[in-house]
Amino acid sequence: MANRRCLHTLSRRAWTLFSTNTSIPSLRTLLSLPIQPNKPIASQFGRGVTTRCPHPRYFSSNSESEDVSEDDDDEDYDEEMDDSGEDESVGNSSASGLKREYSPEEREAEAAAIGYKVVGPLERSDRVFKPYEAVFAVVQIGSHQFKVSNGDCIFTERLKFCEVNEKLILNKVLLIGSSTQTIIGRPIVPEAAVHAVVEEHALDAKVIIFKKKRRKNYRRTKGHRQELTKLRITDIQGVEKPEKIVTAKPTKAAEKKPEKVPVTA
Amino acid sequence: MHPLRVPLGGAPRVVRPPCGSDKMAGQPLGQMALRGVWQLQKLIVSYSDWGGSSRGIRAFMELHLPAFKEKNPQLEVVDELIRGQHPHLKGFYRNKNQRTICVKNMDPEEILLHATRLRNALGRKVVKLKTRHVTKHPSVQGTWTTDVKF
Repeated sequence: MANRRCLHTLSRRAWTLFSTNTSIPSLRTLLSLPIQPNKPIASQFGRGVTTRCPHPRYFSSNSESEDVSEDDDDEDYDEEMDDSGEDESVGNSSASGLKREYSPEEREAEAAAIGYKVVGPLERSDRVFKPYEAVFAVVQIGSHQFKVSNGDCIFTERLKFCEVNEKLILNKVLLIGSSTQTIIGRPIVPEAAVHAVVEEHALDAKVIIFKKKRRKNYRRTKGHRQELTKLRITDIQGVEKPEKIVTAKPTKAAEKKPEKVPVTA
Repeated sequence: MHPLRVPLGGAPRVVRPPCGSDKMAGQPLGQMALRGVWQLQKLIVSYSDWGGSSRGIRAFMELHLPAFKEKNPQLEVVDELIRGQHPHLKGFYRNKNQRTICVKNMDPEEILLHATRLRNALGRKVVKLKTRHVTKHPSVQGTWTTDVKF
């Protein structure tokens, strides 16, 4: 391969020299020029021209492997340089990204991508904590899905753009059901909303990540505390809620409860 | 795509359930955290005026503490001078729990982060979570068993 390259360059240069009608240089000067032979030209010159390129190492039997290995080393070195550079840049960007100031539009966009929307702080006059209703919904936050009902608590990954005691609307609702009706989303139910309140932002208990390779003198201990957000679900909207049966104490069993007929998938 | 609506039984009248809990009444003004109530009641900021480990917390008290107090009017923040000891933050919660964070040799921004964490937390004991979904009513349409016929 390298020999062919040498010959190729040599014959091309030779061809240019001959075409310009200069005096035919000596064989040595011919050979000293970089060559690029085409196949027919190589066949013409092959007999007279000794395959001696300026770089004698190309002729050794291990030439190709040496070239390949050297090229690979160079490429690896370059890649390592690039990777370290990229890592540094990524590290710097992530370190600066933690303290990045988000504009309100960016906040809304990122929050909506995860699947929630901040409505506002909880007012004292709000009566959001209702008693239990027989309605449930399957809601998705980030990559996790939960089956929630009124009054439930959910632990999710730390939601960035909301403070404690703020109202949220979770808009990625995959399924809503009550005792009388079920609505299956494809993939989400568009007019459904699940209201929630942020209860706390806290750290989980510490887990210790212990790595060991036996008989190799390798042991690493790392502690990790995951940041979580606790949400309390207050309301589910978008489905017909069951009729609340208020029976006076003396009269019993006047109304029939609506039958529970589960849905076929 | 349109969601699949599957009506079951007749169309019931929607009766609005009685709303509100009376927990809001009589609560201190300001925001609320657990069912409407902030859980951190008191924060004690202990520092030393001489020691080098208190340098960060002294800067915190000048820079960030006034704004922190204003943002949390429901919280009682107390300064305490302890000489010869490292500085710490002590939080007292409504469930009589206490959390202490040593802030020696920390930057004012880190101390603000720790103070905010104390304020954001409920006073519950930090244990590994059993489930990420805590509910009292696990089933609405009836728990499935092998005998349920669709």
